Amino acid sequence: MKWRVAACFLLPAFALYSLFVVYPLLSALAYSFWRWQATARDGFAGLSNFTGLFTTFPLNQQLWPAFWHTAVFFVGTMLVQNTFGLLVAVLLHELPVGRRFFQTIYTLPYLVGGLVVGYLWSLLLSPSFGPVNKVLEAVGLGAFAKPWLGDPSTALPVVILVNAWQYIGFPILLFGAALAGLPQEYAEAARVDGTNAWQRFSRITLPLLLPSIGVVSILTFIGCFNTFELVYALSGAQGNQPTGPGGATDVLGLIFYRVAFQEGGANAIGQSSALAVLLFLFIFGIAVLANRIIRRREASLT
Amino acid sequence: MRRRSGFAILAAAALVATMSACAPSGSSNSGNGDKVTLSVWSWRPEDAATYKKIFDKFHESHPNITVDFKPYKSTEYNTILNTGLTQAGGPDVMQLRAYGLLQPLVKAGYLTALDGKVAGLSNFDSTALDGARGKSDGKVYGVPLEMSTFQIYYNKDIFSKYNLQPPTTWDQMISDAKTLQSAGITPFAAAGKDSWLLPLYDDTFAATRYGGPDFEKKLLGGQAKFTDPDYVAALDVLKQLKPYFPKDQMGLGETDVQTLFATGKAAMIPEGSFALAPIKKINSNLNLGVFDAPPAPGAVTNNPLQVGWVDASYGLNAKSAHQKEALELLQWMTTADFGQMVADDLKQMSLIKGVQSADPLLKQMAQNYQDHPTPYLMLVDFRYGTPLGSDLEAAGLQKMLLGQQTSAQVAGDIQNGVSQWFHP
Amino acid sequence: MTVVQEQVEPRTRPVARRTKRRTARERAVLILAVLLLWSYAAVALAPMIIMALDSLRPNAAVLSDPLGLPTSLTFASYAKAWTEASFGTYLRNSALVTIAAVALDVGVSLPASYVLGRYQFRGGGVLTAYFLAGLMLPIRLGILPIFYLLGGLGMIDSRLGLVLVYAASGIPFSVFIMTAFFRGLPRELEEAARIDGAGEFHIFARVMVPLVKPAIATVVVFRFVPLWNDFFFPLVLLRTTDKYTLPVGLTQFFGEFQTDWSTLFAGLVIATAPIVVLFLVATKQIVAGLTAGMGK
Repeated sequence: MKWRVAACFLLPAFALYSLFVVYPLLSALAYSFWRWQATARDGFAGLSNFTGLFTTFPLNQQLWPAFWHTAVFFVGTMLVQNTFGLLVAVLLHELPVGRRFFQTIYTLPYLVGGLVVGYLWSLLLSPSFGPVNKVLEAVGLGAFAKPWLGDPSTALPVVILVNAWQYIGFPILLFGAALAGLPQEYAEAARVDGTNAWQRFSRITLPLLLPSIGVVSILTFIGCFNTFELVYALSGAQGNQPTGPGGATDVLGLIFYRVAFQEGGANAIGQSSALAVLLFLFIFGIAVLANRIIRRREASLT
Repeated sequence: MRRRSGFAILAAAALVATMSACAPSGSSNSGNGDKVTLSVWSWRPEDAATYKKIFDKFHESHPNITVDFKPYKSTEYNTILNTGLTQAGGPDVMQLRAYGLLQPLVKAGYLTALDGKVAGLSNFDSTALDGARGKSDGKVYGVPLEMSTFQIYYNKDIFSKYNLQPPTTWDQMISDAKTLQSAGITPFAAAGKDSWLLPLYDDTFAATRYGGPDFEKKLLGGQAKFTDPDYVAALDVLKQLKPYFPKDQMGLGETDVQTLFATGKAAMIPEGSFALAPIKKINSNLNLGVFDAPPAPGAVTNNPLQVGWVDASYGLNAKSAHQKEALELLQWMTTADFGQMVADDLKQMSLIKGVQSADPLLKQMAQNYQDHPTPYLMLVDFRYGTPLGSDLEAAGLQKMLLGQQTSAQVAGDIQNGVSQWFHP
Repeated sequence: MTVVQEQVEPRTRPVARRTKRRTARERAVLILAVLLLWSYAAVALAPMIIMALDSLRPNAAVLSDPLGLPTSLTFASYAKAWTEASFGTYLRNSALVTIAAVALDVGVSLPASYVLGRYQFRGGGVLTAYFLAGLMLPIRLGILPIFYLLGGLGMIDSRLGLVLVYAASGIPFSVFIMTAFFRGLPRELEEAARIDGAGEFHIFARVMVPLVKPAIATVVVFRFVPLWNDFFFPLVLLRTTDKYTLPVGLTQFFGEFQTDWSTLFAGLVIATAPIVVLFLVATKQIVAGLTAGMGK
């Protein structure tokens, strides 16, 4: 393709994106080198906003637990949301009827937004009113009835589950779309050859789905390191402390949200921009690396 | 073909959107002759209908000024206000947070000082004006709107059912709690998930233990620290009361415990004066009373203390195009007329001298505060820098109640965090 | 490959033919799977049903007994939500802004993804990373610079400004997904079309785009929903109440100390209905993508 034609194809997206996304985000990152008084600049700060992240108490003590929680959140989401999402997508693909029906129902939770999901599940899990505990007690498993969101050991797993509940539609739809585009010949031929369903899935379908698995994984990674709305809604009104009972569900996206929009933080812009720079470098590095690994795997398959 | 018509529809929609977006919008602040519209911003959407009534009354006496009241979701208010104040098109008058949280706006120069411009400031006590003062220049930047107190509400019906009276000693309060527990009623509906309430609980139950206003003075003067034994013991009081809090306290938020109390499953609830209206909304048949916690064991102060603080004020945008009219509105907000509506319609406690709530409970709370006040320490004095004192205490108390930290460690964390910016 | 040629025909036949080839064991597993699917569907639906039920009760009842059944059905909350949140106006604004933004987003991302996905050229990798980078930062980070930028362009309190910001913020996601799908299409397609003498745009529009319809539908859903539900940007960037979108109207029900759940839920039921319709249309596209395509 002639490069001039290619430029025409690329230019609109490039221009719109650069002006309204890249330019503001770069400006915001540049803010990290200044001190701020609300939205007015208050002197050049050099690297002090960055070092401040690691020296200001208690923020410095919250960063590493938040990083750990976010990593756990990512792994948990991959295991629960994306694995089940894939299985469901494959199942639905095999069903003669009902595919769109189930797709719609499973994606319904996604359509209402994080704040509402958080409230509804807080209600269901409430130790005083929630049916979850009532059902457990009725079935005789009363010993398991805990204050799910108030117990440091269960809070994060519960958040992972509710998050998966909200977003499972994404892998289901995306894998569904990918499966819909797969050439059927290989599977048909394999069936004729007498392989069973599992072998067909693992040897043929799965490798062909590698690009979509890559897309879903990278998007999940980026999403988990930026997410905050649902965790915030599930954890109660805690002002500016690490979220969750004793900080058990604090994630990096929430630290950013707190530092950026917290009440009273005069230098909120400076600090939050510094945090965003560090977060970005980390996420970008990993995402690019992951993308490269997945592309290499793809290439080795074709 | 189908796809082409699909694109056409989308393109048409985009075009319509563009055209309607480019249509010039009438400026709400156009001054035709003397008629002016003032834009007032606030973080209380639930008061929208009431404020309309209030500002209609203002319009009667000031027919050339119309007020456009715009409340925003409280969690987003700070961002909206901060961006709105940077350019024209922002508010003329806006609701402001008190004490420390006011300072960044003052330092950024977004507010006009009101000294000498609003004569009615003399209708307020000096302590009331402190909530709206700039720390560095001492000027007043807002007309105080309301104050809030925190105390213990009790369900009179449940109390009379078990022959209980509002306790005057700590031992009596504990034995009351035990009686209620054996009857299957939660004594205190205390929340743990919304941890911002925890420091308020501590001040309510244990300000007597660390010595209330005297301790405040010593703290600010540098003669006392949070790590002093009296303050640490005050933190501990909450742990001593834990058996009388709901079993799953850490999983309960503020609305959960309000519902517990309002449906009669709990007999008492430590809550703010601002909670009266919400609780009554859940159950309007409640028969309520209030009392202040008796002096805690080992108390430094020998009488109960009532926790209170100035909660909000209305200030003037330095960039407003209608300074004169805005000042008229602010002056009106210092009058007893407005104050009475704050008390009776908004159901908050007005700070204007001579204004009393018609509601007997609010009146009693205001009276208690007159008699034996103590400030909500963290909000009044320790929000002038970050980390906020209230955040440190809230996080620490949560950890303490979960058994992750001792009260001494919590006090240590508070002192460490605060000394990064607090210099007595 | 002989396998390809043999199977091209049967692809257009109804799916029922495949079912016959299943073993009994496979059928049993499928039945079990369907049972499991229905059980999870109950879990997926339960909170939504609660929300719908609560919208039919007065708020005092919801506050005192959040999970109780409605004692008497009342549509008062729906009426309240419609009038207090100016649903008529806000619905129109939401529709205009979201449709325009998603259309613009997909409209510019499709050609860009096509080039990035099908052609290797110097700087292609850098460009892909450039687009992906926009995903990695929360767009809220840029609220102040966006505010200043729109201010400079005279687009504060403008739905057009909102549309542009929304469309631009969706480009990284759209490009990322559609590039992957374009990349997955067989190499030979363009060559076949080029041999037939087709121009570049023709190949793009008539050959390639129809093949990624499932991806387009997926992208449309996952861009439409967050924009439809976003209250943050309209709240900060719009001033005239007439221009507000639905979610902004709904924030009026979030009080500082107490939320009007009944009205909020009623509002949400109304606000979510159009997205469900959109979703059903979009999933039809994904299924339709099955039968369109290579058979031709």
